[in-house]
Amino acid sequence: MISQVFILSSKGDHLIYKDFRGGAGNDIVSIFYEKVTALTGDQPPVVMNHKDIYFVHIRQGGLYWVATTTAGSSPFTITEFLNRLAALVKDYCGSLSEKSVQMNFALIYELLDEIVDYGYIQTTSSDVLKNFIQTEAVTSRPFSLFDLSNVGLFGAETQQSKVAPSSAATRPIQSSREQGGKSEIFVDVIERMTVVIGSNGLLMKADVEGEIRVKCYMPSCSEMRIGLNEEFSIGKSQLRGYGAAVRVDECSFHQAVRLDEFDSHRILRLCPSQGEQTVMQYQLSDDLPSALPFRLFPTIERDNGGRLLMYMKLRCDLPPKSAAINVCATIPVPKGSVSLSQELSSPDQSAELKPQSRAVVWKIARFAGGTQLSALFKLEVPSLSSASMLEVGPVGLSFELPKITATGLQIRFLRLSPIQPGPSQRWVRYVTHSDSYTIRI
Amino acid sequence: MSASSAFNDEKGGSSSVGEPEYGHDPASGGIFSSDYKRHDDLKEMLDSNKDSLKLEAMKRIVAMIARGKNASDLFPAVVKNVACKNIEVKKLVYVYLVRYAEEQQDLALLSISTFQRGLKDPNQLIRASALRVLSSIRVTIIVPIMMLAIKEAASDMSPYVRKTAAHAIPKLYSLDPEQKDQLIEVIEKLLADKTTLVAGSVVMAFEEVCPERIDLIHKNYRKLCNLLIDVEEWGQVVIINMLTRYARTQFLNPNINESLLEEGGSGDKTFYGSDEDEDEDEEEKEKKAEAAAMAKRKPYVMDPDHRLLLRNTKPLLQSRNAAVVMAVAQLYFHLAPKAEVGVIAKALVRLLRSHSEVQYVVLQNVATMSIKRRGMFEPYLKSFYIRSTDPTQIKVLKLEVLTNLANETNISTILREFQTYIKSMDKDFVAATIQAIGRCATNISEVRDTCLNGLVQLLSNRDELVVAESVVVIKKLLQMQPEKHSDIIKHMAKLTDNIQVPMARASILWLIGEYCEHVPKIAPDVLRKMAKSFTNEEDIVKLQIINLAAKLYLTNSKQTKLLTQYVLNLAKYDQNYDIRDRARFIRQLIVPTEKSGALSKYAKKLFLALKPAPVLESPFKDRDHFQLGSLSHLLNAKAGGYQELPDWPEAAPDPSVRNVEVKESVPEWTKCSSREKRKEKKVEKPFYTDSEGESGPTESADSGNFRLLALIAWSFFFFDSISSAHNRGVCLGVFLQTIAPSSALKSYELLHRITGEGLSVEYCFSRQPFSPDANMVAVQMQFTNSASSDTKNLHIEDVKLQSGMRVKEFPEIELLPAGETATAVMGIDFCDSTQAANFQLCTHTRKFFVSIQPPVGELMRPVFLTENEFKKEQGQLMGMNEITEKLTLDVKCRNEHAIVQRVTTAANLSRVPCGSDKECRFAGRTVTSGSLVLVTVATKEEGAAQLTVNCEKMVIGTMLVKDILQALTQ
Repeated sequence: MISQVFILSSKGDHLIYKDFRGGAGNDIVSIFYEKVTALTGDQPPVVMNHKDIYFVHIRQGGLYWVATTTAGSSPFTITEFLNRLAALVKDYCGSLSEKSVQMNFALIYELLDEIVDYGYIQTTSSDVLKNFIQTEAVTSRPFSLFDLSNVGLFGAETQQSKVAPSSAATRPIQSSREQGGKSEIFVDVIERMTVVIGSNGLLMKADVEGEIRVKCYMPSCSEMRIGLNEEFSIGKSQLRGYGAAVRVDECSFHQAVRLDEFDSHRILRLCPSQGEQTVMQYQLSDDLPSALPFRLFPTIERDNGGRLLMYMKLRCDLPPKSAAINVCATIPVPKGSVSLSQELSSPDQSAELKPQSRAVVWKIARFAGGTQLSALFKLEVPSLSSASMLEVGPVGLSFELPKITATGLQIRFLRLSPIQPGPSQRWVRYVTHSDSYTIRI
Repeated sequence: MSASSAFNDEKGGSSSVGEPEYGHDPASGGIFSSDYKRHDDLKEMLDSNKDSLKLEAMKRIVAMIARGKNASDLFPAVVKNVACKNIEVKKLVYVYLVRYAEEQQDLALLSISTFQRGLKDPNQLIRASALRVLSSIRVTIIVPIMMLAIKEAASDMSPYVRKTAAHAIPKLYSLDPEQKDQLIEVIEKLLADKTTLVAGSVVMAFEEVCPERIDLIHKNYRKLCNLLIDVEEWGQVVIINMLTRYARTQFLNPNINESLLEEGGSGDKTFYGSDEDEDEDEEEKEKKAEAAAMAKRKPYVMDPDHRLLLRNTKPLLQSRNAAVVMAVAQLYFHLAPKAEVGVIAKALVRLLRSHSEVQYVVLQNVATMSIKRRGMFEPYLKSFYIRSTDPTQIKVLKLEVLTNLANETNISTILREFQTYIKSMDKDFVAATIQAIGRCATNISEVRDTCLNGLVQLLSNRDELVVAESVVVIKKLLQMQPEKHSDIIKHMAKLTDNIQVPMARASILWLIGEYCEHVPKIAPDVLRKMAKSFTNEEDIVKLQIINLAAKLYLTNSKQTKLLTQYVLNLAKYDQNYDIRDRARFIRQLIVPTEKSGALSKYAKKLFLALKPAPVLESPFKDRDHFQLGSLSHLLNAKAGGYQELPDWPEAAPDPSVRNVEVKESVPEWTKCSSREKRKEKKVEKPFYTDSEGESGPTESADSGNFRLLALIAWSFFFFDSISSAHNRGVCLGVFLQTIAPSSALKSYELLHRITGEGLSVEYCFSRQPFSPDANMVAVQMQFTNSASSDTKNLHIEDVKLQSGMRVKEFPEIELLPAGETATAVMGIDFCDSTQAANFQLCTHTRKFFVSIQPPVGELMRPVFLTENEFKKEQGQLMGMNEITEKLTLDVKCRNEHAIVQRVTTAANLSRVPCGSDKECRFAGRTVTSGSLVLVTVATKEEGAAQLTVNCEKMVIGTMLVKDILQALTQ
């Protein structure tokens, strides 16, 4: 049971407050905010209490989503509910931010009214809710050059319209209903890598978690078929086709997915509901089909002047045509490092010493496949001892690999039936993120 | 609009947050008059004829409410619009009403009549929403109206409205607890509801209003178990939690042998929680416990209902809702036999890939479980490795789990992993890692030395916190076997020069004092240094200096007498009274004077007694007395409203009590367990055939009616034999249920709601003779109109059939109002083939192409043969007409009743009485040509069986064999 639900901005402003059961004081919101901000550390505990009121909160979109409960209901139910609520608000308002919440007070209030009745969760399915929700979402589209570039001279469509701006996927699901907006469907294949490379350069652990997300703005789409690679296989024993198989260890599907064609043709059939949903989640541990995207060759020594020399060679083993972006290597350095001098192999890199986190941060905006970058960092460390050499590392790497999946999963085709009247657009994106990419030294 | 924004400018942005035109608190407005002006503006908009203006005004008002501002003075203006036709406006008015009705009771009453009208609306959505708002208006005066509305809605046609009624129950209960008895009646009624939509909501109401009335659940228990998988996910959570509690009161502890063991063994285990001891004990204890158990009672047999619950909840571990997964996990943890609990591990590990808040809660529970059932999570050890991106609280919890999972085989991997964690930036985490190493070392004696060496190496770490934490842990480890490690103590003594963290200094001093005999040379020197710096130390260190001094004085007074005196003198004038107290106390105790009493003789014993080694144990050790997944468990404190999970009943619950339970008696006298899923629907056939054996063969053209008659006759026979009047009523209920064919048969989808634009059609083979034409198969169709508009002129057109097939269309349905359901029967002559019948289903606006394809088992109707007739007919259908297959029966399908049930589900056949219990025989005729279909299932040992089908039509025979095979083996 939920007593109150409220949404706070990160600054503590009340955005939404709804009391389902009554009986709580008016200052409850400020009590919560005081409690949250009083705590240090990167994350306050999920459940906090004040007298006999229990706050459960999550953070999403830079906002605090809080539910209070008095009776012993399961914290799982409430965290899961808050996550769903945030997802629903995102679906209905287009994006999740302080601004979008402020512009859609009435809509969110109406949503809450339908989702929760007297503290009991009724439903969180966007398909069901669509029948009840009447209010239209208000959106603000930030001014973007991308939008302008789509319109050529005299308003003619240009070549660039072949690519949708990244903001295209953030819009409310309901606007397509009345405004006859574009019917579009977005399919994202998102993978996250967790890699640990030992100090001897051997791969110690590799783990890829992936998901296929569908965001649907098709009012009349009854069935959609997503074809995966024919040679896609699950588990170790089964191998399909010739050549390199695309393999995952484990795979789970959204309950709306029908798998009758999955075994024979690797086709997922589903009736997508409006809004965003994760259609499939999969996981692969240890043997990745392709080489690791990055290798680091560090050399660390002391020079005569008592300075610490770190010579870093970073190689990107992606295929030559693709590139990694926003690469950032964090190299922990000994305590008491005072200054850094650097020699970088190309001008589009940057590096700086962050004294409070005791690390050198080396940033590379774009890193083409098959190339190699190197950097020499000279650190001034007073009282450098041999023990402090041990404090260097492990190096953490964060990056983004657009148009690449680590497992090799591809979407062969995307078919909608019945054939959509009018223009409909289908977008497929692939991206691999680093979740935790650690190289021990 | 413009007026209001002008006003804002004037106000100078006193509320900086939010959209300027929304949500100004009237009270915070600077100028009183303009306040009025603005409200007039809103009121004017509300009074206007244009819906758009009303909507705009309502949006602004709701925005005010959303931000917690007061908008109550607009009540009269808003409440007028409750009857507004525009549904958008109406909904916002509802939102407003629910918020302010309590404050403005008199005015709120004005709106009641609108809701009462709404309760009679033909549209189910409006009925439901009227009820919801009406029940949310917290005005005592309308309690009778609410009660009436709830009662009416509880028997509404639409399950959605019934669901809303269930939600309204707790609201009314909180408004007026005196209505409890009446509400329980409604709950009882709704509990009997068979739709999944209602089940979750009514259990929520049950849990709030009358959780103690567990007797209400008895007769709905099996139904709830069977419906569970289809219930809405939030409902599942509530039902599972309720059933957990129910099972704890009704069934026996499946781990009764093990739990005896635990009780017996707990005395030995208090000090060393180490596992090797446990393993050794286990065997001995097991024997004892077994002997005891044998003496006490017969071996434990799980109640089939208990099994049903476990079986039906298991698939829910795949749910994508974390709350459902956790609910099932705790159910298994609390209810399942130990051997089966393992299945939940995988599901819980999967949740670790969710949001960090969910991870946090999952890990808390995993930590508790991993203490009790370590084996369960061992295969997933790697999943608990820490990632550099995890937040600290998750890292610490993962460490906890890793420590709990450590054993002799995996400790080396775990320690290697821990080593890398120590390099982390995150200090709290490093400290936790060092403690974890310490705990591994105490639990697993093999690695104690390795760990100790590792920790000693950490003493040279540059980070003081790391060193300090290591010292504290080393101290605890050394206490276990000090004699071997005097060099470590020496090493630590040296550290006193550098280390500044008070806790660490105190630990070192204590260690030196305690084992001063192992380091006789160093100890006095340490004391000397400490005496020097005494005044600058922290309190906790000072106390340990005094302790050290006292201990040295007792063992080595020659060297340290003066030093001790000096320290005690310093302490005498300390600011802290604890220290002054301690100094005085120790002086009295150790320094011999004339006055000193008997105690000083024992001073050495007092100070240098052998102290027990500390137990490093998990903070999660005792958490499992809280129900897993509950708020109290997470907080490790009893939260308000926490209901303790009842203990298992000590003795087996009196079986006669359970016999009185109504449902329990059903399987007893039918001898076929209705516990099987879908069973209730099919009890019909075994019933008939059982009685048929007695009454002898009767030729009947109309098998359906015959069956019904036999059933009724048979039921009367049984009514006499059942004494309790209560049971009779229930029996009758069961029969009526079984007779209704629509509820009993598998239905197929003809038209999906989305494809049909709100019209959905399902069909089933009713297995009733189709009266207009005996050669046709009756197909019963159910039309549901879930669109918002009516559907007219439902009929069939453009039938496309293979040659020979015929269709008898159903009469046109003139009107199917929105939200309604209609049923029609059509007949299809499939010519004994499984070819599909294709046709168009037409409404007044649209046409849909649909097709019906029959399973082969529906192409026949049952006939009644005696055993001799059966054998004779079978003798004539040999050779090409006989198909034989060997098979292994499914585990759940090894008894006669299960076989009969599965075969008759797969094909519309009737059972032929038979002398041998190893054989089941079935007979039927194809609908069109009337060819005989004879099926024999002969069972052998170990689930082996042989299936024989004799049929003139070979195609039908082969297909039937396939279908029955599948039915029996799965």
